[in-house]
Amino acid sequence: MVGYISSIFAILFIGAIVTFLTKTREQARMVAVLTSWTTLIIAILMLFEYRALGGIENFTEIYKWIPSIGVTYHVAVDGLSLPMVLLTTIICALCTIYAWEEKHRSNQFFALILFIEFALIGVFVSLDFFLFFIFWEFVLIPMFFFIGVWGGPKKDYAAIKFLVYTHISSVVMLLGIFSIYYFNIKAGNPATFDIPTLLSAYPALPLTDFWRNFIFAALLFGFLVKMPAVPFHTWLPDAHVEAPTIGSILLAGVLLKMGGYGLFRFLIPMIPNAADFFVYVIALFAIVSILYAPFAAFMQPDIKKLIAFSSIGHMGFISLGVAASIAGGGETPRIFAASGAMFQLFAHGVITAVLFGSAGIIEHHTGTRIIQNLGGLAKKMPKFAFLMIIGFLASIGFPGTVAFIAEFSILAGSFPQMPFFVVLALISIPITVLYHLWAIQRAMLGPYNESIGKVHDAAWYELTALAVWVAIIFALGLYPAPIFEMTHTAAANLIDVLPKGGIG
Amino acid sequence: MTDYFLLFPVLLVIALSFFVIVAGLFIKQKRALGYVAIAGLLAAFLITLSDVNANASLFYNSIVVDPFVQFFNLLFLMVSLLVCIASLEYYRNNPNQDEYYALLLLATAGMMFVSLSNDLIILFVGFELVSLPTYILAGFDKRNPHSMEASLKYFIIGALSSAILLFGISFIFGITGTTNLETILKQSHVLASSPIAPLAMILILVGFGFKMALVPFHMWAPDTYEGAPSVVSAFLAAGSKTVAFVAAFRVFLIALIAIKLEWYIAFAILAVITMSVGNVIAIAQRSVKRMLAYSSIAHAGYVIIAFVVIARSADTAQYALAGGILHALSHAIGKAGAFIVTAFVGYMIMKNGGKDSGGDSIDDYDGLGKRAPVTALLMTILLFSLAGIPPTFGFYTKFVLFLSAIQGGLLWLAIIAVLNSALSVYYYAKVVMRIYWGEPKGEKIIEPTGYVLAALLAVIAIIVLGVYPEPLYKLAMNAAEALMH
Repeated sequence: MVGYISSIFAILFIGAIVTFLTKTREQARMVAVLTSWTTLIIAILMLFEYRALGGIENFTEIYKWIPSIGVTYHVAVDGLSLPMVLLTTIICALCTIYAWEEKHRSNQFFALILFIEFALIGVFVSLDFFLFFIFWEFVLIPMFFFIGVWGGPKKDYAAIKFLVYTHISSVVMLLGIFSIYYFNIKAGNPATFDIPTLLSAYPALPLTDFWRNFIFAALLFGFLVKMPAVPFHTWLPDAHVEAPTIGSILLAGVLLKMGGYGLFRFLIPMIPNAADFFVYVIALFAIVSILYAPFAAFMQPDIKKLIAFSSIGHMGFISLGVAASIAGGGETPRIFAASGAMFQLFAHGVITAVLFGSAGIIEHHTGTRIIQNLGGLAKKMPKFAFLMIIGFLASIGFPGTVAFIAEFSILAGSFPQMPFFVVLALISIPITVLYHLWAIQRAMLGPYNESIGKVHDAAWYELTALAVWVAIIFALGLYPAPIFEMTHTAAANLIDVLPKGGIG
Repeated sequence: MTDYFLLFPVLLVIALSFFVIVAGLFIKQKRALGYVAIAGLLAAFLITLSDVNANASLFYNSIVVDPFVQFFNLLFLMVSLLVCIASLEYYRNNPNQDEYYALLLLATAGMMFVSLSNDLIILFVGFELVSLPTYILAGFDKRNPHSMEASLKYFIIGALSSAILLFGISFIFGITGTTNLETILKQSHVLASSPIAPLAMILILVGFGFKMALVPFHMWAPDTYEGAPSVVSAFLAAGSKTVAFVAAFRVFLIALIAIKLEWYIAFAILAVITMSVGNVIAIAQRSVKRMLAYSSIAHAGYVIIAFVVIARSADTAQYALAGGILHALSHAIGKAGAFIVTAFVGYMIMKNGGKDSGGDSIDDYDGLGKRAPVTALLMTILLFSLAGIPPTFGFYTKFVLFLSAIQGGLLWLAIIAVLNSALSVYYYAKVVMRIYWGEPKGEKIIEPTGYVLAALLAVIAIIVLGVYPEPLYKLAMNAAEALMH
């Protein structure tokens, strides 16, 4: 009996290969849409079944793989990873719609969407470090090709910077994994890369302070670069500016979430054994990102780069939630902060898909992304403008949208533990509002800029993808329970393994 | 008596070599001899595979057959097989191809002798049996001045390094009174107390250093790999280099283990500078063959991490050695495949009416994804394997090797190694970029079966071993155990 997760892998892998081998665009998109929507349906089935079972960790599959060094094929989902799997399948399924009219090497384009979906789901469901790392690295390859083959004028630079920068962070993380593995053997345990086993054995390992801090710092670096946190963010704006729209949606929508996911999956369970100051290190990275990104976004002439910087700011809130969930304080706010940050992973993924989708539509229909050269697009593209403005409002954190739930929980949950940082984070909110609204005002409102020429409203496939994302933003903003309950349970379980009263 | 049958593969290869050169005098269709060579190598490969766990000592313990030997003999036979398949295409119309195959087979037999040897003299003679045919092979395109230059440089440096190696061996003989590796091991106390032993060790290390192309003994390698015919470069980078690893593993881990503290430091320094210099210079190359040559130097740096770990920590020695030989294997497969693709690109350029640059300039790779989609995909996977990106075999072997460095308590070395490995992604990815988003400079062409088949076999090995390395890992652990006892 093949489990849900393995069948998702099989469907995506076969679908990707078939898509790659198709000859025409019609065939390619047909296979891709079928594959990705089948996957989405399976993910939704998993959601229902998961809620019915009410368990902590489900759909577990364990098979021996390389027993000599203790590698297993161990996959499962829990309240942390299932929302991520859902996010990946939703984004990718709609990407295949959004890319409906992709003309350049369309079979390869659609195949890459499926390959990256395969790898991303792998990252979120793996519970073996070896397996996890394979997927973690494999994600880079399709994105490298997205930027390189379909990218803008400076694609060579952006693609290679993306690949090398994130690869370096991965190998540093790998050193941390090696060290955990080694000390686990040294402690007399059987060799294993199994994540739950290693994490539960971790507190008892015979580690000196140097090694504890090294392991923690190595993993933290790996995740912070992926998120990315300022000052390790410089690969992101370049990658976004050059990447095609689908590449950007996937990059900001799902790839960045890998870093946040890693923090929750690996780092928080390890924190009791690292030095106390790491709580503040994480908080500091968070706050620098939260404060730096809006100012940087303010100055961007290119709307896509503006959105890229807004992502960095929003990902900072996740780091803040992570720091707050381990800092000293009561259980309830810590769970609230962690749960909010997990929810933010999902929420920001959907919102950013709308934003980058909008930037793509603007570029597609007007030929430019420079805000100054736009103006009054709402008059010519009313349907699109409606969806885009909702997306921007959601990004600000407008009540009634998912971002509000997420950021409110993070800030409210963080305040009792680290009021100072929360106050600092609050400073960013008016600036965030300001640059979002200012961008809307310049690009969409006001008199129509005649120099753009004739424009039509966005095409049906673009509008459909945007509309579904916007619907999710509202639906889960008004009734977040389906996801929030899961993240809340996951957060409660996570906080449960930490020492009572937190650290520092 | 049955133990002597274990030598059947190597004798078969030698017999085949003589057969090919004699038969070449009489038949017109010399290309058929290529098929004979392939069939013979395949037979030798399968026979070796069936005796992979053999254990025997022959000719007064001067030759041994154990899993370590069999592992590397399989490697050499496989490399030779890949090169022969590609050569069917490369030397399709060459009137001297009978000699080519004969020399290739002779060199392969020499490689097998080096791994079989348990005696410094046999090891040295085996080395020469590899070297002499490869000097000729490097200059086999005798009308191409680059090929001649490659051959001459390779010959001069090779002769020099052999002399240094022999000089070192003579010191060892002087100290211990024997050339048998295990007898030397029994004389460890003599070796450890002798003031000349470090000098002998350094001379042997320098001799091997030239053959492995460790920095600073590497200068010949880029010129030779660049100038030699591409299929021969594949043979040199994948085969000849690995021979030096085998010999070094044998000599240092058995005979010279008594003075490991001395060579520990030497290998640590060499590992760091070799991988760093190799990777940094590879970045600047515009010739793909030179880039592959420097990457080969960097990979030698990774492999000798195994020596450092073994000297440092006895508990980890077996893992480190297994990692080292696995990485030697993944490098051999990846490099053989990649050089065979450069042979294809040279063919493509020539077919387009251009000068035969041997598939040299990175500009020749522009748009390869459109002109030769299958080869382009294979090259991409080969390069990603060399770069160590999962789920390829190259990733797995680096994983095992660097893990052993951490286990041996050499965190600093592991950090340098992984950063080097991460850096190397840059120059491999640059070729992939040219392949997939450079502007094609010509029409789509029909890809010759010989090249595609050889590269495909390498890629299949890379993916199968990368996804399911368990059986091979066990084999490598057996091999490591056999060597370390």
